[in-house]
Amino acid sequence: MGKPSDLIQGTLDLLILRTISYQPKHGWAIAKRIEQASEEALQITQGALYPALHRLEQQGWIRASWRKTETGREAKFYELTRAGRAQLQKELAQWQRLSNAVGMVIGMAEE
Amino acid sequence: MRRWDIFRLRLRTLTRRARVDHDLEREMRFHLDQQIEENLASGLPPAEARRAALRRLGGYTQIQEECRDMRRTDYIENLWRDLRYALRMLAANPGFTIVIVLTLALAIGANSAIFSVIDGVLVRPLPYPDAGRITRVFFHSADYPRFPLNPFDFRDFRARNRSFESFAGFTRGDLQLSGVGRPERFTGFRITAGFFHTLGLQPARGREFNTNDEIDGNGHSVLLSDRLWRNRFAADPHILGRTIVLNAEPYAVVGIMPPGTEHPGNEYHGVAHGKTVDVWSPFTFRGNPNQRGSHFLEVIARLKPGVTASQAQAEMNALIAQLAREHPDALEGWQALVIPLAEEIVGPSRPLLLVLLGAVGLVLLIACANAANLLLSRATVRRREVAVRAALGAGRSRLVRQMLTESLLIAALGASIGIVIAMAGVRALVALLPADFPRADTIHVNAAVLAFTAAIALATGLLFGLAPALQAIRVDLNDSLRDGGRGSTSGAGALRLRNALLVGEVSLACILLIGAGLMLRSFVNLLRTDPGFRPEHLLTANLSLPYKTYKPSDMIHFWSRLDASLHSVAGIRAAGIGTDLPWTGWDDNIGGLTIEGKKPPAHEMFHARYHDASPDYFRAMGIPLVRGRFFNDGDTIKVPLVMIINQAMATRYWPGEDAVGKRITFEDHPKEADWMTIVGIVGDVKDRPNSPETQNSMWWPIEQSPVDVDQMAVALRGSSDPALLVNDLREAVRQLDPTLAIADIRPMDNIADANISTPRFGLFLVSLFAVLALTLAAIGIYGVISYSVSRRTHEFGLRMALGANSGDVLRMVLRQGIRLALLGIALGLAGALVLGRILMSLLYRVHAADPATFALAATVAVAVAALACYLPARRATAVAPARALRSE
Repeated sequence: MGKPSDLIQGTLDLLILRTISYQPKHGWAIAKRIEQASEEALQITQGALYPALHRLEQQGWIRASWRKTETGREAKFYELTRAGRAQLQKELAQWQRLSNAVGMVIGMAEE
Repeated sequence: MRRWDIFRLRLRTLTRRARVDHDLEREMRFHLDQQIEENLASGLPPAEARRAALRRLGGYTQIQEECRDMRRTDYIENLWRDLRYALRMLAANPGFTIVIVLTLALAIGANSAIFSVIDGVLVRPLPYPDAGRITRVFFHSADYPRFPLNPFDFRDFRARNRSFESFAGFTRGDLQLSGVGRPERFTGFRITAGFFHTLGLQPARGREFNTNDEIDGNGHSVLLSDRLWRNRFAADPHILGRTIVLNAEPYAVVGIMPPGTEHPGNEYHGVAHGKTVDVWSPFTFRGNPNQRGSHFLEVIARLKPGVTASQAQAEMNALIAQLAREHPDALEGWQALVIPLAEEIVGPSRPLLLVLLGAVGLVLLIACANAANLLLSRATVRRREVAVRAALGAGRSRLVRQMLTESLLIAALGASIGIVIAMAGVRALVALLPADFPRADTIHVNAAVLAFTAAIALATGLLFGLAPALQAIRVDLNDSLRDGGRGSTSGAGALRLRNALLVGEVSLACILLIGAGLMLRSFVNLLRTDPGFRPEHLLTANLSLPYKTYKPSDMIHFWSRLDASLHSVAGIRAAGIGTDLPWTGWDDNIGGLTIEGKKPPAHEMFHARYHDASPDYFRAMGIPLVRGRFFNDGDTIKVPLVMIINQAMATRYWPGEDAVGKRITFEDHPKEADWMTIVGIVGDVKDRPNSPETQNSMWWPIEQSPVDVDQMAVALRGSSDPALLVNDLREAVRQLDPTLAIADIRPMDNIADANISTPRFGLFLVSLFAVLALTLAAIGIYGVISYSVSRRTHEFGLRMALGANSGDVLRMVLRQGIRLALLGIALGLAGALVLGRILMSLLYRVHAADPATFALAATVAVAVAALACYLPARRATAVAPARALRSE
């Protein structure tokens, strides 16, 4: 169903929050930005992206509004809310802990 | 802030659905366009660029659906859809809908009505602040479970106890108002200081009594009820401090109680709980504090915070032991009894109310079983529909949710009609309630009742909806789609479930039927038992003579003149005057009799209730003479004292002897003149209508009475409607003393009737519920058998084609139904044996396992079951074989 099975559950949320934390972006730009930043390692399908955006909006972490793009077209832009910014910090910390922990386990296995 | 955002978003999703969908579409199109542009930029031809972009986007509908899911409003949207669907289904099957909704409405309405009564009577706190701390304090012994206190004992307890915040006494003291319109006697109490303080009440105007008012000689002040103040004194605000004439003496009005003031109810010369009392005067302590034999002061006391009734009772017992050392003869054999006031007021009604709640609960269970059965039969019909929906991708939980929505909607419809039934039912119930039923005026359909109704609607909806819903999704898709809902394997499971429900409801109905049968037999026994007097054609009234205008000897004279003038009235067959009427709570006890030549058993005293009676009192009451003679005009103060006793006393104290001619005295060292000779034995009058017990009783002729005869009851036996005698009585009294009030004028029938109204009330309701239960069970049987017949049409056709005649088919169907019914009845009988114990306290001379009742109930249940089976069975035999075979 287009769910990012190769991404750890919840990671997509973190990526989206992080991606729009600098400036508001529309869905297309978010997907592109994640792909570029990960050097094409992470492919975000629309089927995963838009439900995630709607869920985040529904939870009050992000806010959507219709704005003009550089090319003058109307697009739905997403930006972080205050609560979303706090949530991002929390998720970042969590991710750090998780990746450290995973790294430690992997490192141990090599010995 | 975040919550507000979330709320706004969801509201928008719900209310502006088209807009939200449009936004999503625009968003997707933008994304698609970007993708196409990118594809074009990478050199693809336009058509290919577009195709590739669409391919990457994936299923738009799916994304849309998922986004919608993410918006979390799908629950509500689905619910709305399910509701509309359910409504359509219900509207499409009006017969089904009406039966199921009305069944539930009746059951839920009955439950809500009974719950209203329970809530008003048992649950809601009494109308006193912090009522949980108010208790009643009694003396207690084996012979007298609840006995009033002696005033001087009371005063010592009040001074010495540490358990109670306040401790007050009260005793009946009606007051006769004259000088303002027609003389009238008002129900009154003499109360000690702090009586209202103990209840947590205070006068609306003025003050309540203090210890200064308790001093002998100070007692001439009075508190009036709001009702009396308004009715007789036109709500005159200047009445405080004024003097009114009560019992021919001046009383100063010191206060007016507020409108809601409720008497806590009492035992001795009892007045029921409620707004039943109109005047309160101070209780004054008179006489010698060392003579503590007479007990007539009842006690109400407020526990200190944190003290329990049993702790207080333990302290009271310790105080009794302490006082018994100071007054050795007075407190011998007594214990204290401390009971919460609520328990005292509503305790006696609790068993009946709980039985009613249980009965009505069973009706609800039966209604649920019926509803489940109906839904199951329809679920079978709808198997194909369910299968199609499942095939189209509806998840199981989604299907269950939809089925439950339907059952909850049915329950909600039932509950809404049920509430209307409950409102009407509560009004009817309150009207039916016996007059002395406690707290009838607090019974209303209120928020608690509505909440209860909503809760049982939810519970019933889940209860009767869950099984059919789970059954429905256990369909085998292939089977159902192929054969269109007939004869597939999953039908067997449903049938088993339906049979189990049927057995269950028959057993519950049987339990109710037995309960109603037991109560009916008990009630018939009550009606059949001889009360010991004849209440028909008997007019009764109470009179009291003020001490101010009558010396004790004048009182005796007054009664004999009244007796004589009543005897001369045409139409009066017998006129009697006596201290007591049966079943009115007016009686006095005396202990420590001395019987010539006999010794009481250790730690016991000879005792009896004492009364005064005119020569014709027994004839007027219809109390038969067993031996000896009635009193006559010769039994005056100038001749040796005589007395009449009841049969109970004769057999208890003179077993195997003739009591007539034996002698009794109250004196410990009697002179010859102190002895009273028994001249007659009269039949027993039962103490209470619903108990076979009769206490020892004895009567003195009024002329020889050793106690003052200021209060008397008059009994006039006519030959027809006793109301015709009222004017004769008024006239006779008026001629002797126009200032006297005649109180409690009523036919003895009313008194006797009021005393059996509680069991009649219980019987009526339990019978009503039993009939309801039996009807529902019959509908259930009918439904199950009809369904099974319709399922087996093919089989019956085949059998008949092969030579079975219609009798064979009829028997086959009947056997199937009756077998289930018999199983249910067997379970019901067993259940009734277990549950019968609950009824025990409500039954009079019927054992809770009465074989006749059980047999009769079983017979009725079998008959109803047979009838319910017969109708569908008949239909089975009417099947034309050819058509049945073709119907496949």
